[in-house]
Amino acid sequence: MTLGVYELKLTRRAGLGGRQAARISSLAILMALALFSVLFILADVSPWSAYVEIARYAFFNTFGLPLTISRFIFLLLCTFAFIIPYRAGLWNIGMTGQLYMGSLAAFGVALALGAKQGRMVHPALATTLLVGAAMVGGAAYAAVAGFLRGRFNINEIVVTMIMNFSAFWLVSFMIKEGGPFTGGGGEGEGFPLPKAFVGPLVAGVPYTFLIALVLAGVLSFLLNKTRLGYEIRAFGKNPVAAQYAGISPFRISMIVFLIGGALAGLAGYHYFAAVPGVYRIPKNYGYFGDLAFYGIICGLISLGNPLAAIPVSFLFGGLSIGGRFVQGKFHMNFGVDYALLGVLMIVLVGFQFFYRYEIVWRKKE
Amino acid sequence: MWEFWNRSLDASTIFTLAALGELFGQRAGVLNVGIEGVMLFGATLGFIAAKMTGSYLIGLLVALLVGALLGLMHGFFTITLGGDQVVSGMGIWVVAFGLTTYIGSPFTGPLGLDRIPRLGGITPFFYLSVFMVLVIWFVLTRTALGLSIRSVGENPSVAEVSGLSVTRTRYFCVVVAGMLMGLAGAVYALDYNPVWNYNFLMGWGFIALALVFFSLWNPWILLGGSLLFGALWQLSLNPQLVLPGIMSRYLWRTVPFVVTLLVLLLMSTAWFRARWGAARPEALGEPYFKE
Repeated sequence: MTLGVYELKLTRRAGLGGRQAARISSLAILMALALFSVLFILADVSPWSAYVEIARYAFFNTFGLPLTISRFIFLLLCTFAFIIPYRAGLWNIGMTGQLYMGSLAAFGVALALGAKQGRMVHPALATTLLVGAAMVGGAAYAAVAGFLRGRFNINEIVVTMIMNFSAFWLVSFMIKEGGPFTGGGGEGEGFPLPKAFVGPLVAGVPYTFLIALVLAGVLSFLLNKTRLGYEIRAFGKNPVAAQYAGISPFRISMIVFLIGGALAGLAGYHYFAAVPGVYRIPKNYGYFGDLAFYGIICGLISLGNPLAAIPVSFLFGGLSIGGRFVQGKFHMNFGVDYALLGVLMIVLVGFQFFYRYEIVWRKKE
Repeated sequence: MWEFWNRSLDASTIFTLAALGELFGQRAGVLNVGIEGVMLFGATLGFIAAKMTGSYLIGLLVALLVGALLGLMHGFFTITLGGDQVVSGMGIWVVAFGLTTYIGSPFTGPLGLDRIPRLGGITPFFYLSVFMVLVIWFVLTRTALGLSIRSVGENPSVAEVSGLSVTRTRYFCVVVAGMLMGLAGAVYALDYNPVWNYNFLMGWGFIALALVFFSLWNPWILLGGSLLFGALWQLSLNPQLVLPGIMSRYLWRTVPFVVTLLVLLLMSTAWFRARWGAARPEALGEPYFKE
């Protein structure tokens, strides 16, 4: 194609450097935000003032910032849960179901330890047991998808998605209409965790903050510096070649889903047992499950890199919190944060093309 | 009891239309995992159009148009740009989930129109869905067009060499597929349950996707599967009509999903595959690049 004196040509990229990837991803985010402005304009809100309000509330406000940080930790863990299978070429879109099951397992342990009767348990012991249960619960639920994919080659998207729905109803069963986890008020929400069971705060922030950041390093090391990480990446790049090299598809599929599920379970634990003001499975748990889908977007934008996922999750944590805020402030429709999720996704799908191709342009002779 | 079976037919109509669309696209080699997304868009925009104009016809037409456009978009990403079909399909679902929540929220609540009249006590869309099964089956197995569609889905390079346009055939199929899925969404929102609520499909599209695998890509088996799952879905919604007092109603809601998983498992066993494994379109899910 020619454009004035320039000649444009599409070429397939041989590989993608870290800096190039970062540039394309940043461009995708900017493009999505520009496109999202249309929604503000349609709602008679100036996009500039909307974004200023979002940023001010999400990142510089004493009420907003703690919310952003809690949301950030949650999104980061969900992103990890997506990334690990993604690097093996598998799609875990079951973070929602896995975080529900992780939460149910954690609250089940709390119940068994006598949380409803107000029995005293050493906080460190209670916290450890709850975290462990959440990870085991999430991992066990995800393992079904890993097993079905590895052993029978059943599409993991269908399986994880279907399991999201069954987990959703299972939570309803547990916390509503006299289910085993019903709270005292009969309000259709789970029982509140006593003080000894809730996750501690470190410098005013849920301690899960530290876990998530350490995990970013650990997972990055796992993927890039270990034999298992190499196998995961090799399998993701070319499953057939990896099989010839002696990598077992069943083993990889099981391992990535176990890890992913454990991380998603942790995300559920974080929001329901470590974020101040929640400390129970809330009535609107479905909203938290919906938010888990941001994990797909963060994972795709960060190209499966756990370290790159940190800034991306922080940004989207802030955007989703700030989006809710401007929705109320400017009396917009419900679901600004959902709409943002949608717009980001569509831009990303389009941008997948630019991760594979580049437009070369040069002056015509 | 009649009421129960009647509602089951309503439900199976939606499964049939959505899954039939997916089947048609898959026979040409294009997988769309975003059925639920296309349905959500068709349901939401069809609902809004019908509510604002007071006309069911306009609502249905809007849903068909939206479905066609989404099919076109899926085609653009996967056929023209050669992108991953799963990424694009997932994209459609997440986009629909996000945007319809925002667009539809001012319209939360009932449609407020007279219900669509029933023919012989049954929803008119049921007859339409059976007719569409017949049409799709006829086109796929008895016409030259169907032969080209199937060959494009089995082996695109051979099809191309023999003079077919893979691009054009696939575009045709994804657009028709999108229209059927959009229609299925509209039938849900205008006829089956005319009360808008965010993300109100809660899994219909994903079960429809599983039904296509279940059908072995045969429209008649698909119709049978839809009837079965329509009844199962209805049972999970109203268990007290058939089996009162057995399980919590929330646990009943998990039943169709568990059964879907079991069916998928059965179909993937070596025993099953050895007998009927060849039905799967060979080139399903793979982008085609002209040499």
